Amino acid sequence: MHVVVINASPRVRKYSNTDKIMISFCRGLIRRGASFEKHAISERKYWGVIRQAFLDNDEIVFAVPLYAEAVPGLMLEFLETLPKKDNRTRVSFILQGGFAEGCRLRCGEELLRDLTKYLGVSYGGCLVKGDNFSIRLREGECLDRIIKPYEKMGELFANGDGFRFNQAKKFTGPEIYSTPVRIATDVVFKTVAKRTMIKMAEAAFGCTTPLDYKPWAQNSYELDSAISQNEQFFTLKKKYNM
Amino acid sequence: MVLLLDTTEEKIGSEVLRECGLNKKEEVELIDTTEMNISNCNGCNFCWLKTPGECTLKDDYEPILKKISSADQVWLISDTKFGFISYKAKNIVDRISPIITTFLHYNNKKARHIMRYDRTPDLGVIYSGEGNDEFLNRWCDRLASDLGSSSRGAYGREKIKEAVSCM
Ligand SMILES: Cc1cc2nc3c(=O)[nH]c(=O)nc-3n(C[C@H](O)[C@H](O)[C@H](O)COP(=O)(O)O)c2cc1C
Repeated sequence: MHVVVINASPRVRKYSNTDKIMISFCRGLIRRGASFEKHAISERKYWGVIRQAFLDNDEIVFAVPLYAEAVPGLMLEFLETLPKKDNRTRVSFILQGGFAEGCRLRCGEELLRDLTKYLGVSYGGCLVKGDNFSIRLREGECLDRIIKPYEKMGELFANGDGFRFNQAKKFTGPEIYSTPVRIATDVVFKTVAKRTMIKMAEAAFGCTTPLDYKPWAQNSYELDSAISQNEQFFTLKKKYNM
Repeated sequence: MVLLLDTTEEKIGSEVLRECGLNKKEEVELIDTTEMNISNCNGCNFCWLKTPGECTLKDDYEPILKKISSADQVWLISDTKFGFISYKAKNIVDRISPIITTFLHYNNKKARHIMRYDRTPDLGVIYSGEGNDEFLNRWCDRLASDLGSSSRGAYGREKIKEAVSCM
């Protein structure tokens, strides 16, 4: 089996979460004797090459980051340039996003399933999983832990049924969090996650502006709140020795 | 203020505006984006983590986003492709991240990003062509809910009257 795996993120490959996921997935493919080629639509100069690969092959996987509850605008633009094919070509999807609960990705999943009808190809199913926002901020073991599970999915994909196997369904994790988990997550959001974001922004991007800064304060009330946010931010930084 | 963002080749925004006039809707503003240079979001996240609130892509988009950030309602007027909105309309939506912050909270049982400004507009869609009406409504609902606002619904071109009555 030869699989064409296409990264549908507009983010350049080096920083793309989807790319890291694809690497892990492809490791699984080769372990089971399948071959693959990896493409990314983020650079338009390769669109011709990708179209040709789409035309010449019949096992295609689009790896898609959720953008505003759907696929990125750039992917829609790319899809418009694809030639029509028939149902001997199978298109499957890896859909991933920032929010963790499975229910957050279902609207995007519906769009992907319907897309195959418009493209005239057959649908190989969709591997759905969220909670991937921080991939770009991680490295080493921490990163491996997040992307490793996709390797197993690559192995199972090589069996030839697309993502129509049971483990792919389970892969999503909880559809919706229970109340206690929600409450605990909310606390994490407001403490650890918030501090980590501020730290990461400073470490990775040299950002010392408060992350909730309002550049377009439109009235004196918003201006006041922008100023007080600024003060709060620096107090927080001092408190946590950042 | 009701903001109409026209991305359609036939510029059907003017039909919508006319209908608004007939219904004496006040404070409606139409922006014809069809000749504007608006690129896709490239996912750099700088608007969250490097220059909070500001997009690094310097094209014709910023004045539109400023309007969005202070509007009560935003109506996306779009051609359809694959049953969904066009890539041009989707690019406008993808680029709203600067008015959202990276911070999260649970609000009404749903994890959401904290919005950067005090208000967020309701969203509506008016589409031309073979749209999947059910899906477009679902998508608009979900997106508005992510932003903590409400959806005013998705309407085909033949239902402009109905759309305007919901403004
Ligand atoms: C403009 C934009 C919109 C996004 N919208 C959503 C969304 O609606 N739901 C979600 O769960 N994640 C959303 N995300 C998060 C991405 O899906 C997530 O960070 C993904 O891992 C990015 O993959 P990439 O680095 O390959 O682009 C959005 C990200 C961006 C930049």
